[in-house]
Amino acid sequence: MKSFRRLVYPYLLWAIVFIVLPMLMIVFYAFTTEGNSVMTINFTLDNFFRFFSDSIFINVLIRSLKLAIITTIICIFIGYPSAYFMAKLKPNSQGLMVLLITLPMWINMLVRTYAWRGLLLESGLSPEIKVYIGMIYNFLPFMILQIYTSLSKLDQSLITAAHDLGCDNKMAFLKVTLPLSIPGIISGITLVFLPAVSSFFIPKLLGGGSYVLVGNLVENYFVTTGDWNFGSAISLIMTIVILISMYFTRKFDYSKEDR
Amino acid sequence: MKKLIEFRNIVKQFDDNIVLKGINLDINENEFVTLLGPSGCGKTTLLRILGGFLEQDQGEIIFDGAEISKVPAYKRPINTVFQRYALFPHLNVFENVAFGLKIKKTPKDIIKAKVDRMIELVGLDGFQKRDVTLLSGGQQQRVAIARALVNEPDVLLLDEPLAALDLKLRKEMQHELKRIQQEVGITFIFVTHDQEEALTMSDKIVVMKDGIIEQIGSPQEIYNEPKNEYVANFIGESNIVDGVMKKDYLVSFDDRDFECVDFGFKENEAVDVVIRPEDIKLLDRNKPSKLKGEVKSVLFKGVHYEIIVETQKGTSKTVTMHVLEDRDVYNQECGELMHASDFTMDIEDVSAITEQELIARANAQAWDKESENDISISGVEFKISDQPGRYPVTFKTHNGTLITVNVNVVAPKYVEDKTSNVGITAFDFYKTVDEIKESMAISVDLKTWADAYAWSLDDDEEIKISNVDFDFDPINIETGDYKITFSTEGREYKVHTTQYFEEGAKVSVDFGPEDIHVMHKTIKS
Amino acid sequence: MKRLKGLPSKLWLILLLAFMYLPIIYVVIFSFNDSRSLTHFTGFSLEWYEKMLDNSTMMESIYYTVVIAIIATVVSTIVGTITAIGLSKSRRAMKETITQINNLPMLNPEIVTAIGLMLFFTALNMRLGFMTLLLAHIIFCIPYVILSIMPKLRQLDDNLFEAALDLGCTPFKALYKVIIPQIKPGIISGALIAFTMSFDDFVISYFVTGPGINNISTMVYTSVKRINPSVNALSTIIVLAITIILVIVNIVPMIKERKKKKNEELA
Repeated sequence: MKSFRRLVYPYLLWAIVFIVLPMLMIVFYAFTTEGNSVMTINFTLDNFFRFFSDSIFINVLIRSLKLAIITTIICIFIGYPSAYFMAKLKPNSQGLMVLLITLPMWINMLVRTYAWRGLLLESGLSPEIKVYIGMIYNFLPFMILQIYTSLSKLDQSLITAAHDLGCDNKMAFLKVTLPLSIPGIISGITLVFLPAVSSFFIPKLLGGGSYVLVGNLVENYFVTTGDWNFGSAISLIMTIVILISMYFTRKFDYSKEDR
Repeated sequence: MKKLIEFRNIVKQFDDNIVLKGINLDINENEFVTLLGPSGCGKTTLLRILGGFLEQDQGEIIFDGAEISKVPAYKRPINTVFQRYALFPHLNVFENVAFGLKIKKTPKDIIKAKVDRMIELVGLDGFQKRDVTLLSGGQQQRVAIARALVNEPDVLLLDEPLAALDLKLRKEMQHELKRIQQEVGITFIFVTHDQEEALTMSDKIVVMKDGIIEQIGSPQEIYNEPKNEYVANFIGESNIVDGVMKKDYLVSFDDRDFECVDFGFKENEAVDVVIRPEDIKLLDRNKPSKLKGEVKSVLFKGVHYEIIVETQKGTSKTVTMHVLEDRDVYNQECGELMHASDFTMDIEDVSAITEQELIARANAQAWDKESENDISISGVEFKISDQPGRYPVTFKTHNGTLITVNVNVVAPKYVEDKTSNVGITAFDFYKTVDEIKESMAISVDLKTWADAYAWSLDDDEEIKISNVDFDFDPINIETGDYKITFSTEGREYKVHTTQYFEEGAKVSVDFGPEDIHVMHKTIKS
Repeated sequence: MKRLKGLPSKLWLILLLAFMYLPIIYVVIFSFNDSRSLTHFTGFSLEWYEKMLDNSTMMESIYYTVVIAIIATVVSTIVGTITAIGLSKSRRAMKETITQINNLPMLNPEIVTAIGLMLFFTALNMRLGFMTLLLAHIIFCIPYVILSIMPKLRQLDDNLFEAALDLGCTPFKALYKVIIPQIKPGIISGALIAFTMSFDDFVISYFVTGPGINNISTMVYTSVKRINPSVNALSTIIVLAITIILVIVNIVPMIKERKKKKNEELA
């Protein structure tokens, strides 16, 4: 039986080469500047100084964060009632609703965003609003499904127990259902915030180039400008910002690991 | 004692299934009442209706003089300990217990005092800050009890709260629950399917079955004077025998008359007679006694032995087994050995005979001589008509090895036992020494080879043949004829005694008139 | 009374579905438009479907998407299954290491994984194109396959494997005859996830592909600068295909269940 352990080694090697090394490459590029030959590597913090000394870059970062946070909040406010109502349906209808919510997710995100582009073409909305619509549309299903899963797993006897102990419907919701569905909200936040903050094709397709987010910066420096070092530095900054936000989100989770 | 709760003609239906068929039940103050019955009898439904989690379709619930059917669960002075406790996983022990008081907006200092006292009552002092999901089953149980009791309800409902605990803990909690009930002095309504639990804890037991109350009474009443076969079977172990009430104080069963203490039955009424296993005494054979019997099995149960005594043999049929020399067929070309035996079969089975059955009855086998691996039999040729006589049957393998045996088709000879209404049949058969030596389960094989079958003369249902008696040693058997007796189960009594008797010992079975309890027959619907 | 109570929630869910399906319905309708306009439906035609079939870039992108999705699914499912089985018998430290490494691409923004792979491939002097695209897809699919198989392995009764050995299986025969059938649902869902991840991927493909090699996503992205209603036609076909597949996947088990029930009733 233990001989099966050996089956892991090829993948371990694979994962180090194809997952860990590329990540390290980003760090390496972020701390060097162009023109370094393999022989002379000069580590530098120039890329980071450049980013933080220019208010344009700072503004883009703040705008991305704001957009991601607002998108996430709207997704919670639309997603929670949706998931809650779904969980109250008859079991068969619940299955159908899950299917109906999942179905659009199977269709390419690009294709769906492209559709919104046409729909909103003559709507007269500002690019910013269009980007918000695209973001919410793309990420809302993740939020709904996460919350729905935690609500449908909820032990109904807990609600009965709450009624037994003197709760009316509203109190039972506030004291039992809501606190117990927080893990679902948290994982929903992860699934919405993370891609929202780094998204670059939604602003590009719907914002029409005038609405630049941090993801667009990375794209520009890699694809158009070809300044991979600065691009790597930006993506590193983005990653760190995300890690910090995630850390704070998890603090709200009551789950045992944190206690 | 004051009447606290009255159920009046409660009916509840789920879809097409009537779960409660008109329940009438009174429950007093400070009583420990147990609703006892198998799963699906409606006991939990009744509890949930009282708790306010379900609404009855018909009937009334009077609580302390007022009808409460329309009062929502959270306004009833009733709290529940749920089956799987339903503790809130996001709250710790203290917060769980304090939940109900917080909802009622009780001042903080009072909450603290009450909760701490309750936690102490259930023996969990010092666990206040613990995570409830990390507690043991018994501790979770205590939290659930404290959480319900802290609200000072008039009634505490307990829905099989001990089912999830292991045996030792369950016993401990039984005492604990009784103690808590006596200490807080309120009504406990306890639902369980465990008769021992019910007997241990209750003031009053309500035995339920299929949405109907079968009997209400104290544990002693229920145990000593069960109303019918169902209650007698459900509460404790019992021997239940069909009998006839000859007249007052005289009952007849097992072809004898016995004095008893029961009266008020119709003359010659068919009744069920209950004798508890611990009320039966076993004596040596020479002592005068009511019945004679033979010890069939002995199990050691710790405090006592559980002995099964057979007082009457079952219906039996004896056949002859002809054991012959081996005569395997050997096919040199492919190194295959093959074997089959003659057998006898019932003329009535001829029309429905299958190849599989012929292979099994003739015990036809083929195997490779070198490797001893089994080879499947690929063909059976037979022509059997439904006239008595001998018919050849040929078994074949793919490689062409074949063997022919004779089948004796005979008219069946039944043995019919009119008193117990059992019929039994079996046939003589032929076997070789090796076949018997190789049998891994000789009783089962003998039944197959002899085609032994027993059935009820009432409804033709198959009856199990529980005994196969023979006096040869299957490992050292030689050629010759052997008698084999197949029999069904006879009249057996279960006896609990501290005295040991050997299996096979001839004993006398004795009981007094007060040990016999006569019940009306339940009318089967 | 009760009926009224449920009404607002039903209305909410209907509005939600309307929002979710609005763009899809829009795409389907405008794929039949007979003009180039994306806002005015001027008349029915199949013009854009014909144009789509004539458009070699589009047809090639479909081809690459499907080919890469199939190869990536097969490879990642096999590698993922083998690794997951190995992992289930490994020590804790090894499990932790692999889980943490696998989390990197799953918890990081896709764009970070994408540029990492791009930097890595160029550093190795690999020309960006079909091979790098395929390799990247295999790389990001395997963690998802492992993730969907591991829970099934954890649920497995340890004695199953021992029972198989006890009954005469060699370890690998036991694996094949007992373990694999038990974790089959996990393997299938892993393969499904891998296929959709690969089929739908845009971000990573966009960075690691080279000139001339496009999948559907990158093709749509690069072609939207000009208005091209053929994209609507293509989208409609994708929507149709996915709907059919999902309906079959969800309805076939239901029909089977019903048949089973009927048979049981008859028996």
